[in-house]
Amino acid sequence: MVGIILVGLVVSFQSVGPSLRRSDGSLSPRDSAFHVLNRLAYGPRPGEADSVVRFGVMRWVDQQLDPRRIHNPVLAERERQFRLLDMSRDDLARVYLEAQRARQERLRIDSVARANPEVADKTPEALRAQRMAGEFQELAVVRAALSERQLEEVMVDFWTNHFNIFFGKGADRFLAPSYIERTIRPNALGKFEDLLIATAESPAMLFYLDNAESVAPGSVPPAAARLQARTQFGIPPRRRLFLDPERMMRADSLRQRALQRLPKGLNENYARELMELHTLGVDAGYTQQDVINVARIFTGWSLERPEQGAGFVFNEWAHDYGEKIVLGATFPEGHGRDEGLRLLKLLAREHATMHHVSRQLCARFVADDPPDGCVDDAVAAWHRSGGDIREVLRAIFHGPDFWAPPNVDAKLKTPLEFVVSAVRAIAADPDTSPRLAQVVARLGEPLYQHVAPDGYPEREEDWVNSGALLARMNAAVALASGKLPGVTINLDTIAPASADPDRLVAAIDDKIFAGHLSPHTKQVIRDQLADVRDPEQARILAVGLALGGPEFQKQ
Amino acid sequence: MTISRRVFVKSGGLALFSLGLDPLFLARAAYAADYPAIQRSDHPTLVCLFQRGAVDGLNMIVPHGDGLYYRERPRIAIPAKDVVDLNGYFGLHPSLAALKPLWDNKSLAAVHAIGSPDSTRSHFDAQDYMESGTPGVKATADGWLNRYCQHDREHQNTPFRAVAFGPQLPRVLAGSAPSLAIDDLQAFGLRAPQEAVRDRLTRAFEALYEGSATGLLASSSQEGFEAMQMLKQVNPGQYQPANGADYPRGRLGRSLLQIAQLIKAKLGVQIAFADVSGWDTHVNQGASEGQLAARLKELGDGLAAFARDLGEQMRDVVVLTMSEFGRTIRENGNSGTDHGHATAMLVLGGTVNGGQVLGKWPGLDPDKRFEGRDVAVTTDFRDLFGEILARHLGAGDLAPVFPGYTPDPTKFLGAIRG
Repeated sequence: MVGIILVGLVVSFQSVGPSLRRSDGSLSPRDSAFHVLNRLAYGPRPGEADSVVRFGVMRWVDQQLDPRRIHNPVLAERERQFRLLDMSRDDLARVYLEAQRARQERLRIDSVARANPEVADKTPEALRAQRMAGEFQELAVVRAALSERQLEEVMVDFWTNHFNIFFGKGADRFLAPSYIERTIRPNALGKFEDLLIATAESPAMLFYLDNAESVAPGSVPPAAARLQARTQFGIPPRRRLFLDPERMMRADSLRQRALQRLPKGLNENYARELMELHTLGVDAGYTQQDVINVARIFTGWSLERPEQGAGFVFNEWAHDYGEKIVLGATFPEGHGRDEGLRLLKLLAREHATMHHVSRQLCARFVADDPPDGCVDDAVAAWHRSGGDIREVLRAIFHGPDFWAPPNVDAKLKTPLEFVVSAVRAIAADPDTSPRLAQVVARLGEPLYQHVAPDGYPEREEDWVNSGALLARMNAAVALASGKLPGVTINLDTIAPASADPDRLVAAIDDKIFAGHLSPHTKQVIRDQLADVRDPEQARILAVGLALGGPEFQKQ
Repeated sequence: MTISRRVFVKSGGLALFSLGLDPLFLARAAYAADYPAIQRSDHPTLVCLFQRGAVDGLNMIVPHGDGLYYRERPRIAIPAKDVVDLNGYFGLHPSLAALKPLWDNKSLAAVHAIGSPDSTRSHFDAQDYMESGTPGVKATADGWLNRYCQHDREHQNTPFRAVAFGPQLPRVLAGSAPSLAIDDLQAFGLRAPQEAVRDRLTRAFEALYEGSATGLLASSSQEGFEAMQMLKQVNPGQYQPANGADYPRGRLGRSLLQIAQLIKAKLGVQIAFADVSGWDTHVNQGASEGQLAARLKELGDGLAAFARDLGEQMRDVVVLTMSEFGRTIRENGNSGTDHGHATAMLVLGGTVNGGQVLGKWPGLDPDKRFEGRDVAVTTDFRDLFGEILARHLGAGDLAPVFPGYTPDPTKFLGAIRG
């Protein structure tokens, strides 16, 4: 409860917004509960602000920081319906490879499919792969909506964007689910260093940022060395007699092409984004030579072939064993995979990394342009705790900036936050079909589909535009009217159907907005309901307008 | 306040202008004399396509007359026999063959060795600089196309003056001047089965946002409602491209089709913008065929269809392609290319001085390269962008559009006919 007392002291002299705050400018317990539910969670469920007040706001915050202590039976039950979670990476690889094979086969034998490639995507195998993809995206929305461990879900979304991968790129179609389950989720509230190493070794990242293809110049894989060693036409002279020459030349040109496709040198892609996005930040002063040397250090970090499960592998043959210097630190010659780990630990402990990542966390939880004090507190906690994300977050949530009135209700919801908070606000219950993920996509944030490595943006101006706002209004009305198949809604949790505008508006303000709805919004909704006689229609319209209106876009 | 009246009030850009609210009014009069007199089309339109991910300029506009090109790219160079020759030294990637007739009729020009004076090889910084129009300065809040709209108020101010196709408004259009983001013209607006319900929802949401929203939420929603009202008359679902134009499937084709549709509907589009992604070819970029070839095919076929669809109206239109930087001269270890420096851009349209590769070509010699590895930048992108704003759109004053850098008319490449 120290936090709450502190809050009262710090914010009491700040400016006061209308209707939102107590007359002395501090947040009431109910305002505080509403605020933490908006930032540490995906918004309150009906009446949840009051239950958090009863539980104790800071006690709730500390509980969220320790998710393993939170009982989560509803989500556990729902997760059982996702077949995706029962599948290993091998299973998923098989689904994907079978879909690919079926497509090629259809294209080969079916002239209709050749003229119209969409037909080739309709094989049973392809449809199964698409179903898995849909489940994968929906699972993120369902977890965000139903989990009691809300902060954990928020952090999973944060790291998924920080360490972005792109689901549409080749093998990442089947590597992405295990990336989320095994790389991101277990480390979401752990040590940053562990998370960084996990992403560096993850097949999804190795493939996405091309490090799997990066080899020391001049190195040759053992299999290719054998290919190259073969004499003309690639087969022992003794057997050549029995084969027709055309076939032999064809085999030779195939082999040539196979050799051509082999990696022949460095690829800087991962090295650059590792420093620019994952750790130091673009202005940390590293050079092009640093990028090249980091790429050299990670030569050999690759993955097995899809048929073998596509797991992480360190190819000694591909590694550059020479000496490298990165950010002034010498990596002596003769080292293998260990120097990559040493580099990752070095990067994780750089001050620039702490500052860069802390600033992003403050931008997520406090304000698009976070105050320096917030970032400094987070960095100090990072130093103190050796990069324990939980402690960095605790420092942010206990700091004065998090509670400062100008930062309350000031952040715009991303499409994911908007959809999930609307689902929670009306206690809707989604199944495993990808409806909600499709809505999130239509609003501009198709999950796991951000092509560039910087992940989805966090700033208001990135998400607010005329088309996107109209799309949000449409989504709000569709959701409130129960028109989204696969999503069961329960408006009774807010108010019984009624043609009484005053009752409806009061219930919405109380249950969804914890009393934060502006007088103007209340008046407009009341006016709109004046001539609606049907109680059910009146309730739908009122809820739809509230969720599509301006106040619900903010958190 | 009703929608139609607000449209009327907002479209009173001229009224604001004549009230002298634009402090640049006088400055502009002074500057106007510095620019050569040009014949402006009545409704000039600029279409910008951003090739996000850094297109390999050397495989788009191929220096097939240079042996070094082939020596540096043994696996990914475009064989000379496949190149669509332009001038004996440069040629088009074969996937861009659909653009050759536009080159021949002098409405297509290419600019090579163009880029940013900033040396960053970060996609995000470089895109940011190209969109803010201030290389090296990160604090610039708005984009150069938006600043142009802020400062050139003579254009009729309709909600469609500046339109971006996509779910997000790009950085280049961010700023205080109204601009619209449309993901899909057909789906733009509020959905309801009956018109009466639709109108009711529209009125209700409009009233909500008018009174309770502030800042961006307020201005963006207002623009959206106005645009919806105007679009009602256009009936986007019924559009048929003219002259047998066949747009390629996919996002770019759809965006270009909808841009053509908006231009023809005469809703006052002056600036249209669309993204084309997929150019970050680190691995197996291919040569005459392959990954990059497929992206270029979509681009070339899309532009050709656009020009065909607009027909005569192309005289008022300029299409400009841009990309944050180019790629390494030498292919990398994965039959791809890494981040480089200068790239190539295309300029297409009725006022274009076509049929030439513009810009000073630095060549591929190792001692002429930027940092020993990339094509050097000989044209600052702001000189090309500035020329198009001045000579095609008729911008009077470029100083506020590119703060800290006023494009010098004597350095204009001559991409637009004077």
